[in-house]
Amino acid sequence: MEQNDLVVQMKGITKVYPNGIAANQSVDFSVRQGEIHALMGENGAGKSTLMKMLFGLEQPTEGEIVVNGEKVSLSSPTVAIAHGIGMVHQHFMLVPSLTVAENIVLGMVPKKSGMFIDFKKAIELTKEYSERFNLAVNPDAKVVDIPVGMKQKVEILKALIRGAKILILDEPTAVLTTQETTELFRELIHLKEQGYTIIFISHKLNEIKQITDRLTIMRGGKCMGVYETASITEQEISRLMVGRDVILDVQKDEAQPTDVVLKVRDLHYTNEWNKKMLDGVSFDVRKGEILGIAGVEGNGQRELVDMLFDLSEPDAGTATVNGKDVINASQARIRAMGVSLVPEDRMTYGIAEAATIEENLISDRFEEKRFNNGPLFNMKAIHAESDRLIADYTVLCKSRKQKVKMLSGGNIQKVVVAREFSSDPTLIIADQPTRGIDVGATEFIRKKLVDLSRAGTAVLLVSADLNEVMELSDSLIVLYGGKIAAYFEDTSELDDVVMGEYMLGLKRQSDEEIGRVCHER
Amino acid sequence: MKDRRMFVFELVRGAAAIAVALAVGTIFIFLSSDEPLNALRYLLIGPLVSMKGGLASFNTQGFYTILAAMIPTIFTGLAVCVMFSSNQFNLAGEGIVMAGGFVAALAGIYIHMNTGWHAVICVLIAAALGGAIMLIPALLKVKLGASEMVTSLMLNYVCMYVVLHFLNYNFADRSKGSTQTYAFADTAKIGALVPGGSKLTWGFVAALVFVVIIGLLMYRTRWGYAIRMIGINQAFSKYSGMKVGGTIVLAQVIGGVLSGIGGGVEVLGRYSTFLWKELPGYGWTGITIAILAKNNPLLVPLAAFFIAYLNKGCQLMATYCDVPSEMIDIIQAAIFLFFAAEQFLSGYRQKIVVKNTRADLAKAAASVEGGAE
Repeated sequence: MEQNDLVVQMKGITKVYPNGIAANQSVDFSVRQGEIHALMGENGAGKSTLMKMLFGLEQPTEGEIVVNGEKVSLSSPTVAIAHGIGMVHQHFMLVPSLTVAENIVLGMVPKKSGMFIDFKKAIELTKEYSERFNLAVNPDAKVVDIPVGMKQKVEILKALIRGAKILILDEPTAVLTTQETTELFRELIHLKEQGYTIIFISHKLNEIKQITDRLTIMRGGKCMGVYETASITEQEISRLMVGRDVILDVQKDEAQPTDVVLKVRDLHYTNEWNKKMLDGVSFDVRKGEILGIAGVEGNGQRELVDMLFDLSEPDAGTATVNGKDVINASQARIRAMGVSLVPEDRMTYGIAEAATIEENLISDRFEEKRFNNGPLFNMKAIHAESDRLIADYTVLCKSRKQKVKMLSGGNIQKVVVAREFSSDPTLIIADQPTRGIDVGATEFIRKKLVDLSRAGTAVLLVSADLNEVMELSDSLIVLYGGKIAAYFEDTSELDDVVMGEYMLGLKRQSDEEIGRVCHER
Repeated sequence: MKDRRMFVFELVRGAAAIAVALAVGTIFIFLSSDEPLNALRYLLIGPLVSMKGGLASFNTQGFYTILAAMIPTIFTGLAVCVMFSSNQFNLAGEGIVMAGGFVAALAGIYIHMNTGWHAVICVLIAAALGGAIMLIPALLKVKLGASEMVTSLMLNYVCMYVVLHFLNYNFADRSKGSTQTYAFADTAKIGALVPGGSKLTWGFVAALVFVVIIGLLMYRTRWGYAIRMIGINQAFSKYSGMKVGGTIVLAQVIGGVLSGIGGGVEVLGRYSTFLWKELPGYGWTGITIAILAKNNPLLVPLAAFFIAYLNKGCQLMATYCDVPSEMIDIIQAAIFLFFAAEQFLSGYRQKIVVKNTRADLAKAAASVEGGAE
């Protein structure tokens, strides 16, 4: 029954990026016709790099790629698509202001009399493929209005319609709720039955066990082996991935929250596409507690954080830190109130790539008296401060003079965290603090957050990683459609199915229950 | 080890860019000249070596001339370094050199002082005017979001025509055959550094002092730090709590002050009356210099020397041979092209990176094995 012909073979692949990071070292990877093959590994293990080379987005430094028995040079995605390889990226590559059908035919638009776009044909085409592959989408809807799960289906359809026989899915479930994930898996199995080959990038053990036939594990840029999914246990996979047993639960004492630090009342915000992103959000964060904000991405989390750090202005509502207004304050004023932010987009806001580690560490405090002698910098004090932070936060680097862009993702985040956590903050806003970084750095940052909160800092944790937000938070709110859908005072007895229902908008607590998150009138 | 390899690479890259540019220039020389080898000799060694009866000797006067030519361009080069470091592509240095030179000359003529400070005061007035003029594009950018590149470029011509207007209608010395001001007082002139009538003045020393001052400003003070960080990543700087708008204005005002000083020092050092009737070109050269120096103030004198040398060589070539003086523009453009081209020799760079990474990995593997044993 089993077909043994390999559709994709990658042999001895090595990739060195211009910043000197060897993301892949002599990796062998092969996929059989008609299987769902998992590519597993921690963030930074080199999975994405390997797949980018298979999709023609990056070129290998060494090694060869064989597709359907033919040695190929995949110089661009166009070439990869011509060889029947399609990829669905983790971050969707869709035009929000266009409809689903328009997005699907983008770049291969059906024409009327050779000149005009045939919208009708585009919609028919979308419907045809959507039915054939059992991927239900609404062709007329604007992409900006559709839920994440449907966006993903649009991406898959886009690849299929371009003739992809081998589909690469880069962490497809990362942005999905439990229910949407189940649906996606049904669709993937349906595709497999029709003879399609699927490469499934993930680091979620239970999902892999559920739907894949074989799996390849990567760690630190190297291949750790290929296994039949049925013949390997979750524990073994986990050990191969990280080289030790993962400790997922965070050790922490019970929170002793005291006074309210951050007080948010009735925030409203409508974005540039006229979509209401925040709709009357109110909550409090108290000294000594970690309040988590859970929710599928795009339900107002980013907008909320932006308001609190003066990166955009709300339409209405107030927010205060220890009684002082933060909505109309500049970042300098907000920082002076003792607010720190670990930004979601660390490469844009968190660091200056081309500057040194030292220069990145002092960006919020370089004007302080202790770092200046009259008009000149006190270089001794600055060196001492940066050396101390590099040591305290175990930033792996050659010296403080190294450029930040030369560091790995985890160490870049440690630089951000070292600066933000060391300014003696009264409130820390941590937005996706461990996204895309290695296990060691993740554990370190989580532990620091807990330590700081137990030492009396108020922490607002925004995370799309359900596991993280449930483990780390003392209490939790769920954002759905710009509103608070639920408040859980105690996170210890929550399970992810219940959370999924709130995150997906299937359920909503009563206003009274939600109102309990406002501890002060 | 690793850093040294990359440093060597940058040097090789710079040298290769210059070599390619000279090669391009050579092609044009061979195309346009009947005596190309003679022309090349003037271009490459003419500025510093004089030939007399088949004997080569070091041309001291030529050397002084090159140093003198560096005076205004060091100032404008520094000005551009500061402004480009903050990611502000302000090109108004050119017009400000002219305006600064003009007011310095006026101060030299109409203010009477019997002290050596006269020249300094004239230059300070030029500096103040330069800073004030730069407020226009800077504030337009910060308050209204107007592109500083467009406004500053236009501003050059505003400066030029305003200067020409006042020169023609208010301050011209009618007894002279060409349009120029009256002679400025001797006290306002900047003294020569070496005897013998060369134009190498104390302005050169001042320029080197400013190299150090601007170097310190950029790398050893909070203002320079903010300017550089804003240049690298403005969103990051704003999020960190820096005063982005104020710093952007500051960077351009500093640029204006430096350009103004450059104009004042040049006019008071080289001439005895103000007689520029068009933009002098030092501002544009400053941009070339800043790019060659990669916005590093400490490298500005080197870049300025290189440009001055090249200019002199082309001048000699045009004077003594049949090569047009426009050659300089071709060579400069070629150097520019290869310096600014990020991908130039990037394949070679990638090879170094791969090699370095291999070495690091091998070292790491060796230390792991060593630890295990």
